Amino acid sequence: MFDKTSPFYIDFPGRIKAIQAEMAKEKIDLYLGSRLRTMSWTTDAFFPWRSFIVIPAEGLPTAFTFVIDAARAADDSWLDEDHVMGFAPMGGQDQITQISDMIKDYLPHGGRVGVEAGMSNYLPEGYLTYYEYKAFEAALPDCTLVNAHPLVDRLQMIKDIGTINRFREASRIVDIGHEAVLAAIKNGGWKGMTETEIGGLAGYAMRKAGSTFEWSFTGGNEIAAGYRTGLAGGACTPASTKKVEAGEPLMVDIHALFGLCCGDHSHNYLIGPASERQRWHAKNFVDMVALTLKTYRAGISPSSLAAEMMDFAETRGFADFMVPGFEHGIGMLGDEWRIGKHDGPFPYWTDPDHEYVENEVLICAMQYACPDENIGFRYENPILLTKDGCEYMSKFPLGIEVIE
Amino acid sequence: MVKYLSEDWRKEVETRLSAQLSPDKMNNLTSSMNNLYLNCPDGNSHYFFVGFVDGKVDSVQVGEGEGPKAEFVISGEYETFAKISRAELGAQKALMGGLLKLKGNMVKALKLASLVDRLNKIIATIETEY
Repeated sequence: MFDKTSPFYIDFPGRIKAIQAEMAKEKIDLYLGSRLRTMSWTTDAFFPWRSFIVIPAEGLPTAFTFVIDAARAADDSWLDEDHVMGFAPMGGQDQITQISDMIKDYLPHGGRVGVEAGMSNYLPEGYLTYYEYKAFEAALPDCTLVNAHPLVDRLQMIKDIGTINRFREASRIVDIGHEAVLAAIKNGGWKGMTETEIGGLAGYAMRKAGSTFEWSFTGGNEIAAGYRTGLAGGACTPASTKKVEAGEPLMVDIHALFGLCCGDHSHNYLIGPASERQRWHAKNFVDMVALTLKTYRAGISPSSLAAEMMDFAETRGFADFMVPGFEHGIGMLGDEWRIGKHDGPFPYWTDPDHEYVENEVLICAMQYACPDENIGFRYENPILLTKDGCEYMSKFPLGIEVIE
Repeated sequence: MVKYLSEDWRKEVETRLSAQLSPDKMNNLTSSMNNLYLNCPDGNSHYFFVGFVDGKVDSVQVGEGEGPKAEFVISGEYETFAKISRAELGAQKALMGGLLKLKGNMVKALKLASLVDRLNKIIATIETEY
């Protein structure tokens, strides 16, 4: 990954310099990141513990994490062991003291320290907590803490070629997971199988193919069978021990991780025998997905796309079953929530009027749910927006097969 | 009997460390550590610095003030250090309880913990007046 000739190479020193250039424009003397998305984007390592990164005005950043994991994180990162520090409950070694000591070394006369404050619907986001904010404020009396995460968000929005290729590879791996699931459930293989088993066998196939993590924080591989596919709004179905049954739908939403970039593709089945009504629902959904993928391009917005797609659903008589949202954000691990910046009508939620631009990557995502009939479907696929359309990265053929 | 942190004590430390710590025993370490004693009996701060180059004792210094720059700085009250030297308090307990403050890369410090123990055990053999 760190070889410049690798298709997966990302210029991390360049990213740091880009942040430092934005800091200079906003007169920020030092940036203190705490969000998982910032950690991933700046270090190329996964930080599962509460972690921070100190980015000075010039030079290399230093990451801070729980001491038991710092050596591993340094080993994974492009940063060396002098720039990945471990904190621990010891005199001078707790996170507030250690980080504020370093900030004081950089800014002996004080200065403006950019922090990441805000809110998220996404639990692992990692904004500074109230306690942390007050503790840093008390430890750094000569510094002014200012909210500065938008500068990182802006830089993260457009994906470079190394990141795009990592997404492509993660999607290739997800397709292998789907092939493994299909091979396992066909010819009656589904009989007696639980959602968790399907999640596990997909995970095993993807790990063999190079995935490092079934990354989704909504429960790893999300599998739903029967009525669980049709729960209202049901875009979160951590696999349960429910068994797959004849005559029921099956939704397989699996996640791979490659180089901290996420594969995320959902495929749906009907376990036979399938009724005409079930097939009607399935055709509605497949047609909707096909049209959505055809419509995505730079220049449109989440709201314009949703309006167009819901009109289509209305004309076909299934608008009642569609959740009127067709996307979620995606980036390196920890960045999987809103689209756009945080300047929409509801701060920190997707801006419905965000205008998509070329080389933005997002998850084309939609949910069809008919709770009264115990049926629903989900589609997710990372897409790369281009001037005239989109590249959908998972290539597993679109369809809802009846598994006899 | 030598007085803690005095020139005589420093000489004794240097002699014993040089004699008893081979580069091999110190894992050919190049590093430095500075203990910073606050509120000493004379009302001032004192330091005890020890530096290793390729596992050999390179420099042992004591004096008034903050001392030279070191890779690791451990600071605390004189009395805390004295209790540790008299084996009345464990160094780890003092760190965990916040009585001592360590400045430096904790991950590297973890790797060096056993070496520091080796060093402290030798220093503890010196008959010292506190």
